[in-house]
Amino acid sequence: MKDRLAAAVQQSRADYTEIRVERTWSSSVAFRGRRLETATVSEDQGGFVRALNKGYGWGIASFTSLDELPGMVRRANELSRAVRLDEPIRLADTAPQVADAALDLDGDVRGISLADKKSLLETYNGAMLAVSNAIVDTQSSYRDEVSEVWYVNSEGTALYQLRPEVVVSGTAIGRRNGTIEKGLESIGLRKGWRSVQAFEDRFRVTAQRAVDLLDAPRVRGGSYPVILDNELAGVFIHEAFGHLSEADFVYENPQAREMMTLGRRFGKPVLNAGDNGAERGLRGTLPYDDEGTPTQDTPLIREGILVGRLHSRETAAKLGERPTGNARAISFRHPPIVRMTNTYIAPGNAGVGFQDLISDLKLGVYACGAFGGQTMLENFSFTAGWGYMIRDGHVAELVKDVVLAGNLFQTLDRIDHIAGDFTWNQMGGGCGKGGQFPLPVTEGAPHVRIEAALIGGDV
Amino acid sequence: MIDRLLETARRKVANADALWRREEQTAVAFEAGRLKAAGISEEAGVNLRVLAGGRMGVAGTTSAAPDPEELVTRARASAELGESVELAFPTVAASQLPPIPTFFDRTANASLDDLIRLGKGLVERLERPGCQVNVSVEREIADTAVGNSAGARGAYRGTGIAVAADVTRIAGDDVLMIYDHYVGADMPGDADLEALVRSIETRLTAALTVVAPPDGALPVVFTPAGLAAVVLPLEQALSGKTVLQGSSPLAGKVGEMLFDERLSIVDDPLTPGRPASRPIDDECVPSRATGLVERGRVGRFVYDLETAARAQTQSTGNGQRGFFGKPRIGYTNIFFRMSADGPRDTASTALLGGGLIGDLDDGLVVDDLIGVGQGNVISGVFSHPVGLAYRVQRGEITGRVKDAAVAGNAYDLLKKIGGFGTDGRWLGARWSPSLLLEGVSVARR
Repeated sequence: MKDRLAAAVQQSRADYTEIRVERTWSSSVAFRGRRLETATVSEDQGGFVRALNKGYGWGIASFTSLDELPGMVRRANELSRAVRLDEPIRLADTAPQVADAALDLDGDVRGISLADKKSLLETYNGAMLAVSNAIVDTQSSYRDEVSEVWYVNSEGTALYQLRPEVVVSGTAIGRRNGTIEKGLESIGLRKGWRSVQAFEDRFRVTAQRAVDLLDAPRVRGGSYPVILDNELAGVFIHEAFGHLSEADFVYENPQAREMMTLGRRFGKPVLNAGDNGAERGLRGTLPYDDEGTPTQDTPLIREGILVGRLHSRETAAKLGERPTGNARAISFRHPPIVRMTNTYIAPGNAGVGFQDLISDLKLGVYACGAFGGQTMLENFSFTAGWGYMIRDGHVAELVKDVVLAGNLFQTLDRIDHIAGDFTWNQMGGGCGKGGQFPLPVTEGAPHVRIEAALIGGDV
Repeated sequence: MIDRLLETARRKVANADALWRREEQTAVAFEAGRLKAAGISEEAGVNLRVLAGGRMGVAGTTSAAPDPEELVTRARASAELGESVELAFPTVAASQLPPIPTFFDRTANASLDDLIRLGKGLVERLERPGCQVNVSVEREIADTAVGNSAGARGAYRGTGIAVAADVTRIAGDDVLMIYDHYVGADMPGDADLEALVRSIETRLTAALTVVAPPDGALPVVFTPAGLAAVVLPLEQALSGKTVLQGSSPLAGKVGEMLFDERLSIVDDPLTPGRPASRPIDDECVPSRATGLVERGRVGRFVYDLETAARAQTQSTGNGQRGFFGKPRIGYTNIFFRMSADGPRDTASTALLGGGLIGDLDDGLVVDDLIGVGQGNVISGVFSHPVGLAYRVQRGEITGRVKDAAVAGNAYDLLKKIGGFGTDGRWLGARWSPSLLLEGVSVARR
């Protein structure tokens, strides 16, 4: 395949050409309540060509019929030449990479029967349903894939990557009369069959929480000291800062560049954060990004100060910085854009635990789990799965509907205490940007305290 | 393809249905006011469902030359694990389908240069100092064919065009993002583009002043865009699937007056000019409109073939399928109707608040909320930070508010609607005016 792509690239008349071909084998099983929704095997395959000429813009072609590859290379070149540009697009230099990089399949999912996968999911789904009669509905899904990706460009890079993925998710719906609550558990790994065994307890706990929330009061709206658990703290750094670190937001916008000047203080000295696509064995991990750049650990905030950002080759060239291996595409249907990989808040001192974060709080909220988050850059939301009030230094009653309203300049700077209990939280789902969803990413964080954060609700 | 596939299937299984689709997209993207990229994408694929031994199985592929034997074998393997279900495949002939224009020559024939010119014109009208303008224009042509072993066949060709524009203004540490789009089956006319430009300008101008947010239980005008958080719970609760599963709060309440009696909501796949309109759904059920909420009463839930069979009712023609997985319930065009005469004129779309703020002493106009769809949606409870919202004082917009969060329960808020705006418009696949809702919780930092 690499030779076939290299030959097609050689035929290209564009100054720069890259081709990505993917073949994805996947299987999925889904339950809704006690009923099986589907158990099926799918095959998806296609190609992507991107061409660039001096004085012109990008020409892009994506297609499912690989027989048309030579024609698509020509089309991409023609499309590039239809886009005239005064200021040329430059790509930052990277050393050409030639490699075959097969990630550990950890129990090749292609060798496991669909019946075994159904049986595994049935166990997890059953664990949720067995918790209580109040669990009226569940949505459980198992999905795995093994993706083969070939990438060749006209600068001599030629890569083959084998990327596995497996996701097991469950939603438990609890209902009593008119009140409906939800518990969500999700495990997403860039691994295989062996890594998703023996999670019954996590699904059971999740369903029990949906039941417990039926009797819990809604949190009152207002400003509180808030402790984020590891999972929500990870979502927080992704939404609060990760997206702003993506250089495609600043590279064409002088005011944005000024706002995000390297060296600017965004947090107190306790805050250290980064993005690490090279960390071993995580869902956001890849040896190379979708422009063939090796991934790396990129510090973003060091002791509260902005020290780096995430780049594609184009954004790096424009800002005179180095590519960081963050150009990613969710599939051959899309061009690579600047994305996160495994984004983290670094742990505080090893001895500091959750109890140290709450002991001096008279009233606060402990926000746990994550239903999601979204950013509009300065303002962002992060939605907890559940929460507890903190009263006089102790964890008190369970509360629900805990949605935090964050502000880049206020919320980050109000992080005043970080525990040492770091964990990576590998969930399914993923990140959405520019119509590309879900991109597999991971977040990691310890418990984090925000001095004051806005929570929505009745006031 | 469909005939060959169904022929192969019929030799191996009792019943089958299939969808074949080919899509061709052409897109141009302007970044920071400059044309940066032009692209095409071509995709074709097929999705097969079989009933074997009374059990359902599915298989799909995007392979250029799919092998029918292999696909049927895969679908049968899927059926071996599948649930028993008695699907009644429709037997409609292509000639019996309702007439609905889905294909517009102007859209299909627009050249790359036409699309570039359209985007460039928009960029020029939106550019202003201190603002960054991004515009994208995407044109799609899709061929769809559906069929089943009961002899039903349907095929249609559709066009779609999406023109999206966003303006970002960063001043110091203040980030303002304003977005709007035109989506249609036919190319936008001058009036459509004018409406898009004015919509962005109006909201931008009113946002330049930042004022302190109010707090408490307040009247809030939700614009057509801001309404998403209020509509989403209804969309989930009106799905036949959640009703079957027992998770819909509207289950068992058909005919009950649960909403303001002036409110009707229709799902209408036969709306002219909309890209989601089609003569037949993806399971060979002819298209027709479904009254979801009728003058305040819960109307009909939407079903696909499988959920209809389980609920012992008829499919509403809301079966949707992609290349992979099985068909599922999907809405087409959601339409808010205040009276029987359909949409009002849209001359006042540029009026922020849809003419509903004149009597408000203190409140908000909410145009965008952050994190909609994340949370316990079907319960009706929502709580979101504002993405774009304006304060109303003594009947006038006084400026943009930041760092505020709104919360409420969609079902409660829609019981009594304070007013319907005169600014009804399409936003994606939903047509609605602004709605004034009372007693929305607003919290501030």
